[in-house]
Amino acid sequence: MLKYAGTAGAVGLAGCAGDGSDGSDGSDGSDGMDGDDGSDGSDGDDGMDEAFELGVTMGQMDSGLDPQDHAETNTEIIVGQLYEGLLDRDKQGGIIAGLADEWERTDDGSVRFMLRDGLTFHNGDEVTPEDVRFSIRRIVFEDVGIVSPQSNDLGSVSEVTTGDGQVTVSFEGFNPIAFQLFATNGPIMQQSWVEENGGDYINRNANGTGPFRLTNYESGNQVVYEPNEEYWDGAPEVDELTMSASSESSTRVNQLLAEETDIVTNVPPNEVSRVNGSDVATINSVPSARIIFLQMRYDVEPFSSQQFRQAMNHAVDVESIIENVLNGFGNLTAQPTLDGHVGYNPDIDPYPYDPEEAERLVEESGHAGVEITLETPIGRYLRDVEIAQAAASQIDSLSNVSCEVEQREFSALVQDVTAPNIEDRPHFNLLGWGNGEFDGSQTLTPLLSSEGALTVLKNDELDGLLTDAEATEDPDERVDILQEANQLAHDLAPWVFMHQQFSVYGVSSDISWEPRADEFIDPDTATQQ
Amino acid sequence: MSFGRFALKRSLQGIGVVWGVVTVVFALRFVTPGSPINAVAPLDATQETRQAIAAELGLNQPLYVQYGQYVFELLQGDMGRSYIRGQEVTTLVFERLPATIELALAASVVAIVLAIPLGVISATRRNEPVDYGATLVSLGGISTPNFWLGIMLILIFAVEFNIFNTSGRGVDVGDVAMSVINAEPFVGTLLTWLAYITLPAIALGTYFMALITRLTRSGMLDELSKGYVQAARAKGLPRTLIRYKHALRNTLIPVITVLGLQLGTLIGGAVITEAVFSWPGLGTLVIESINQRDWPALQGSLIVIGTSFVLVNILVDVVYAYLDPEVVTD
Repeated sequence: MLKYAGTAGAVGLAGCAGDGSDGSDGSDGSDGMDGDDGSDGSDGDDGMDEAFELGVTMGQMDSGLDPQDHAETNTEIIVGQLYEGLLDRDKQGGIIAGLADEWERTDDGSVRFMLRDGLTFHNGDEVTPEDVRFSIRRIVFEDVGIVSPQSNDLGSVSEVTTGDGQVTVSFEGFNPIAFQLFATNGPIMQQSWVEENGGDYINRNANGTGPFRLTNYESGNQVVYEPNEEYWDGAPEVDELTMSASSESSTRVNQLLAEETDIVTNVPPNEVSRVNGSDVATINSVPSARIIFLQMRYDVEPFSSQQFRQAMNHAVDVESIIENVLNGFGNLTAQPTLDGHVGYNPDIDPYPYDPEEAERLVEESGHAGVEITLETPIGRYLRDVEIAQAAASQIDSLSNVSCEVEQREFSALVQDVTAPNIEDRPHFNLLGWGNGEFDGSQTLTPLLSSEGALTVLKNDELDGLLTDAEATEDPDERVDILQEANQLAHDLAPWVFMHQQFSVYGVSSDISWEPRADEFIDPDTATQQ
Repeated sequence: MSFGRFALKRSLQGIGVVWGVVTVVFALRFVTPGSPINAVAPLDATQETRQAIAAELGLNQPLYVQYGQYVFELLQGDMGRSYIRGQEVTTLVFERLPATIELALAASVVAIVLAIPLGVISATRRNEPVDYGATLVSLGGISTPNFWLGIMLILIFAVEFNIFNTSGRGVDVGDVAMSVINAEPFVGTLLTWLAYITLPAIALGTYFMALITRLTRSGMLDELSKGYVQAARAKGLPRTLIRYKHALRNTLIPVITVLGLQLGTLIGGAVITEAVFSWPGLGTLVIESINQRDWPALQGSLIVIGTSFVLVNILVDVVYAYLDPEVVTD
């Protein structure tokens, strides 16, 4: 075939594999744990006749290679092969060691990280505590170099100090999720390299500590990597990694079925049978850290009525939507915090689908005959428009409520959702929220506390619980508070609780790779079949 | 009016058009909902962070200051810095432009190679089955949306028969040329290039092919009915000579004009084809920039596309004026 006749057209996949342990420590997500190394990883077995070339195709390429100057998943995946933080996460979201092999909370509430011995950047220079200090400060403080969109992600860091092989981070007040934050955020860069090079250079080149080194960067086209032979956890088995993007999901699936790539992201439900029906690839899915919900603003009628909001929860048959719209790729939710995240309350059941109860509550609320509009983004979340249409149709089928859908381009909807004043935000809209820290407070606070950047609710009791959770040093007690907050959020019903979105990947039958709960892709754990 | 003054006038008009493009695109950002800050900042960014980002991007300046600054920098060859990628727009745009030009030229080659013989055969065998067939093909080509054609080509020739690559741009035409210089396997590199470019070139070139086929056919029919052809026949010149040396040559004059103009259209019109085939050209950059409200990158892309179009138009006009001095007088 023509595509295989040339020198660069085919992705060769052959040979045998090592064990590729995923190195999972598991974690309950609470802080204060001692540093454990996690898995050493395995070098695997040699004897491969052909290079292990792995291709990953996503929906969009990066927005530059500066690991601290972006805030979106695709870029995170591309730069995350090159840069690492002090801590990391296993595939389930548990905290594991990163560049720091031990970590602890100090008596004054600060957090201390002990760096591994012998860490080097890709240019061969040693990783120093000063590099770590510089990196954290570059994210948090504008005067260090850039206005980082990640500045929120590290909480209220007040200062970073260094010692012999260690770094201490202090916060304005007590930060109960310091380790969760550092397990997800804070890629480490070399201070001298950053200071010697301008933004253009940093966005097109890389000098991290990650499992892969950059070999070729073609903006908007592809990024090619080679294994970092000096990697502290052992070099990856992959000999060459290529990351590319196709905005059209059908194009991504076609690439997979034509064996031009090995992992494709966001396979839509209607393409699943085509992938599973082929003999070259299969679908591999995992519940993600993203929750989908319908926000209802507490200060406008009819949503100012708790009964009306609860009625909306009874009116939408989420189970049917998951089954019929998402082909089963979703989990029911009943609270803002997802199962497995810190603060999840296992005793809360979803609102049952009960149109009669919904009609009764609408009558009681005094809003019978009301007309409402559900605003939804187009193409931002898995089948968002279809989900919104199904939910609106079920609400509309109530005898005493009319509901229609307004489709909006995501950027325009976000403009309204993030408006500084709650009065300017939509009344009723679909939204998704990814919680990369796996901690309930990271959903409850921004979305439901009075001061949250995206809040649609003002409730003193909930605010009080979240304030308590933030100040509580005992992890178990904090979990209890967050569980109580989730119960209250369920009862207040500021959202129609929809589902936990799944990450759906198409994976070549030539490789073995398990997806992660945090939407990150870790090709260093892939092995050849 | 002298030819020189004509050429100068057209060039100044072209500059005016490009300035118009710059202004319209700049104005669009203020009537389009959504902000680049939403593409840069996380959803839960505080208002302070948003304001800091706005200040860093220069978005908190008054409109006329932003516009004046942009035009001033543009005149110095600086198209600004991408909001999203943090890189010079000039670098981003000129990095993508070769891929788009390569695709446009390949589509033109596909179109010309098929269209001219098809148009000639259709004209010389008028009302015969082959003419009907060619007319049907050209009608189909004009009526088929290229995104649908692209998807069908991928499904049939890349997925089902596995002959071509589904998408991407493995090597470029420069690599093919370098393989000769560096004594690398030329055939292998050429085949790889063909494996990537053939399907998008067909998808993009089909409409163009249909257009040229119809133009060639009607032009050829027109020429064949003219007196000089009758005279040539009366003198006993061979039919082949009359058709392909005399009639075809005259037919090709308007065809070449349209070819020139269409090349500009192909550069600007490859957006959908590039999206379907993940072709890393200017069209893909335009889509990405619109989605992310990356105004500097979008403006840069559109300025280059608009300038290409204007340049080709000016070139065609000037060549026309050179060939036909009446155009200058008019």
